[in-house]
Amino acid sequence: MVTLDERPQLIDALSALRDRVAAVRLPLPLPDTPRARQTRTELLAQLDDYLVPRLKDPDAPLLAVVGGSTGAGKSTLVNSLVGRRVSEAGVLRPTTRTPVLVCHPEDHHWFAGLRVLPQLTRVWLPQADEDHPVDEPAPEENALRVETASSLPRGLALLDAPDIDSLVVENRLLAAELICAADVWVMVTTASRYADAVPWHLLRTAKEYDVTLVTVLDRVPHQVIGEVSRQYAALLDKAGLGHVPRFTIPELPESACGGSGLLPESAVAELRGWLAHRGQDPAARQQAADRTASGIIDSLDTRLPELAGAVAAQYAAAVRLGGVVEAAYREQGKRVRRELGRGAVLAGDARTRWRAYPRDSTSEELLDALTESLAALLHCAVSAAEEHVRDAWRREPASEPLGPPGGGADREAVERIGMEARRWRRELEELAEDEVRGIDRPSGSRLSGSRSSRSSGAVPEPDTVAALLATSLLGGRRARAAGERLAELLGAQTALRLRDKGGELVLSYVDRVLHAERDRRLAPLDALDVTPEPQAELIAALSVLQKEK
Amino acid sequence: MVDDDRERGRTRWNDDGERGRTRWNDDRERDRTRWDDGLIARRAAEKAAVAEEKAPAGPREEDALPPLGGSFGGPLRNRLDALHELVGLSRTRVESEALAEAGRVLDEAAARQRLSSRHTVIAVAGATGSGKSTLFNALAGVPVSETGLRRPTTSAPIALSWSDGSAGLLDRLAIPSRLRRRPLAGGAGDADLQGLVLVDLPDHDSAVTAHRDQVDRVLGLVDAVIWVVDPEKYADAALHERYLRPLAGHAEVTFVVLNQIDRLGTEAADLVLDDLRRLLDEDGVALGEHGEPGATVLAVSALTGEGVPELRETVARFVQERTAPERRLAADVDAAAARLRQAYVAEGRHGLDERARDAFTDRLAVAVGAQAAGEAAERVWRRGAIRACGTPWLRLYRWYERMRAHGATDPRLEVPVEDELTARQRVEQAVRIVADEASRGLPVPWAQAVREAAVRGAEGLPEALDELTVSLGDPAARPPRPAWWPAAVLAQAVMTLLQVFGALWLVGQILGVVEPGLLPPVLVMLGGIIGGPLVEWACEGAVKGPARRYGQEAERRLREAAAACGRARVLDPVAAELMRYREVREQYATVVGSRPPASRIIIGGGGGGRSGTSRLGATRAGARAR
Repeated sequence: MVTLDERPQLIDALSALRDRVAAVRLPLPLPDTPRARQTRTELLAQLDDYLVPRLKDPDAPLLAVVGGSTGAGKSTLVNSLVGRRVSEAGVLRPTTRTPVLVCHPEDHHWFAGLRVLPQLTRVWLPQADEDHPVDEPAPEENALRVETASSLPRGLALLDAPDIDSLVVENRLLAAELICAADVWVMVTTASRYADAVPWHLLRTAKEYDVTLVTVLDRVPHQVIGEVSRQYAALLDKAGLGHVPRFTIPELPESACGGSGLLPESAVAELRGWLAHRGQDPAARQQAADRTASGIIDSLDTRLPELAGAVAAQYAAAVRLGGVVEAAYREQGKRVRRELGRGAVLAGDARTRWRAYPRDSTSEELLDALTESLAALLHCAVSAAEEHVRDAWRREPASEPLGPPGGGADREAVERIGMEARRWRRELEELAEDEVRGIDRPSGSRLSGSRSSRSSGAVPEPDTVAALLATSLLGGRRARAAGERLAELLGAQTALRLRDKGGELVLSYVDRVLHAERDRRLAPLDALDVTPEPQAELIAALSVLQKEK
Repeated sequence: MVDDDRERGRTRWNDDGERGRTRWNDDRERDRTRWDDGLIARRAAEKAAVAEEKAPAGPREEDALPPLGGSFGGPLRNRLDALHELVGLSRTRVESEALAEAGRVLDEAAARQRLSSRHTVIAVAGATGSGKSTLFNALAGVPVSETGLRRPTTSAPIALSWSDGSAGLLDRLAIPSRLRRRPLAGGAGDADLQGLVLVDLPDHDSAVTAHRDQVDRVLGLVDAVIWVVDPEKYADAALHERYLRPLAGHAEVTFVVLNQIDRLGTEAADLVLDDLRRLLDEDGVALGEHGEPGATVLAVSALTGEGVPELRETVARFVQERTAPERRLAADVDAAAARLRQAYVAEGRHGLDERARDAFTDRLAVAVGAQAAGEAAERVWRRGAIRACGTPWLRLYRWYERMRAHGATDPRLEVPVEDELTARQRVEQAVRIVADEASRGLPVPWAQAVREAAVRGAEGLPEALDELTVSLGDPAARPPRPAWWPAAVLAQAVMTLLQVFGALWLVGQILGVVEPGLLPPVLVMLGGIIGGPLVEWACEGAVKGPARRYGQEAERRLREAAAACGRARVLDPVAAELMRYREVREQYATVVGSRPPASRIIIGGGGGGRSGTSRLGATRAGARAR
């Protein structure tokens, strides 16, 4: 059980936990992600707005948040409790758009700073008296109006929240956030609403977090007040909330006719008394705050693993998505090697050139054709891989933020691959040139034998060597003749060495192209930086907290 | 109270943003499948209808009377037929879920059409405590439905029919006979409301989820809905997000009634009514103001009776028009069409243009090496011609050179017999690119179908191209000879002979056999020596043109053969698939089609297409807003 004496270790553990939760990123839209994001937001809200400030300042006033469905009369209730119009009430829904916090003037400093609800900017309005109600302020995003009223007991602050099921999404989010910051949850419902699904969900959550809860049954017509409150009590009992204090407020003309008036003192006296007791009596106050705090801390035991699970799911999805890409490119890499071995590059144009070589086509043409053919093979492999990735990713909703797969047919990919192929060709030509220059040097003695001496009698053209080399490298089995001729020109050993070097060159370029394209595909995924660490860190922070409490 | 642990386990904090929204999304997903569902109920209803046709009483009367509203008028009929066609045509292509809903709409249309068209089934729906049952009773004139303070009060739908013959309809709604009521004096007193079947629904927002299931089921089957809202709940997210927005297309068969205005002052009631109108507008619900078709918004107080006569009158008018079933089905078709839209309509131009086809055949030509083959043929031809016309001495030298370079064998003979003459990867790439081009601008399922057609066609394409190349033969292998060739060879031979003759002459002079005279033999020999290369040179020039023509001809033949092959195997199936899409697209256009407002159907239909599409647009806008 948490006691609200200052507990530095507990606060440290909670702060560490808070940082871990804040560090959680859930970028991939998995089916569970929206829920996990909400859990994260909610956890942050509870830690930032409630737990940490509450534990740091056990003496701060209790914050009672008045929440409920639209039209339940929350604002009217707050106004009546305060005794003057602090929150605007009306018939048009949703009424309250900017939450209003009311506290005793001497408690003002607790809420003026950013101790609680730091993300809401504070708005102050000039004191309005009974006769001159405050003009409606311009609605401001993320604002919190802080009002003071000396009619409120010290040690208690009331917060009028927007509807929990507002049509305006921001209001819904804000209401949830505000409720997270409460020491005392005041749930307002009405005679016609008490069986609605929405408030019951909230009540169940309250029960789960074991917070200090009060329910108010508002707007009950006089003639049926007994019947309805009995019904409501039965429902509460059934939901296991029978012990929750219930207050019934009858429907009065003041609340009905435009809601402009305040409820008479007598209608809210009981509730006000209860709240005042919580605010002023140290024991009651201690108990109220304590219960909510420890309830929320206990609820972390289940909620944090849930979040950690979502993080793990994110990581798993990222690994899955990345795995698809890797597998596709690995597959294509294998295929390219296979095709190279089969001599698939020496087909079509290149084959025709080769057959006409050297009589009807030049080395230049043969090299051109081979380079183009190699680029075509690589492009084909990349496109096939991209196609595979596209098909696989289409089935994965998580791939949405990674952008549409390009299909590999885009012009840029063609250019990139063509450039790599040309670079390969240049390097091959340089290799051939070096080799020919090596022969040029007076090392002819190495080349003995009539055939070698006959071939080396005329130093072979570097172009010819390059063309033959490229053919023998890319032509596989088909280009045996090229290899033989190369051996004739340069000698068997030199040719072999050259071929080994060239083969390495080809493979390195193939890998380079495929890896570059793969990395390009993986880049957006890598940029999301989904790692497994946050999961472990969350669990670790939780276990530290469990030890502390 | 039903404890819905399942719901709770799934979402505890449904009141707040994202997760709440997800829940609604889930619900909507379920609603989509559930909306118009109730298969079991429907089956039961159909069986019951058959059974009742055999029974002597009511149904016979129903049968005997000619359907006054007739079967649905032309436009809706056409749209339903088109939808039927559409479902048939795209069963194998489009994901089954979207189509299943279209199928359900068709089933519903058929089921509704079989039943009485004289009746209009209107459901009264709303949140807990909005006073549905009170309003229901006010319309009935007798306390039929139990009203109460217990929330939720009504737990099963109760039907109230003003005239006979509605048994089939109520069977379809699966309302048991103990819950079928008649108004005061059997309803005979209300001539205006003859044909009305009013159904009081349970609430849709209470913690009892079974009620919501009931509501969702019945809402899919009724002809029109009266939504009852109250000043407290009129802006509930549950109502707007779960029902009004998805059903925005059904505005014409929707009434929105603001109940309990007795709780508000007149001024406040007007304010609230205006705000309600604004919210409905934001939901995308068209409002039936200024004679435009759309939802009717009224303010009543069921308790005091204020506004009830007006509501009654509006409903009576609506019922007497007897077009509600048709309008409802039209809206259903709209909704189905909007849902299918993604599968049939995509942004951008579709189809294969000439450029893409040409690019494809060009790629195939590269794959078979047409250009290189043409160039090779040209060069071989030229070389052959020049060699044939060349001087013998030059030929001798070249032969020697070749012997020296390659040994005795012809290099061409060394080339082994090859398989896979065509560049496989280039063919694959060509097919991929043309499939991408063709499927660009198509909705996903059709793009997939086009791609599959292309890939299927491309199976065996490289082999076919190989065969083709082989069958056309190597143009470089045995080039034909032009007509002037013998003359050139003859001229060259004459030149050689002249050289020989001149040489012999000279030798003769040296030997003294022939009379001396240096000039003539030298001239003759010189003529031969100069003439030989001259003839060769001339031939070289003359051969250029024909050689190029020959090469181009060879290239063209190969290219065209490859193109024909590619067209037959890939482009034609792709075009067929595109054609099919176009056909389906037309059917879809008919389904979306013009939707004349019901008021004009009576006069004779026609026009009003814009209202239909704008309604659809509104539905979509509503869907997007969600």
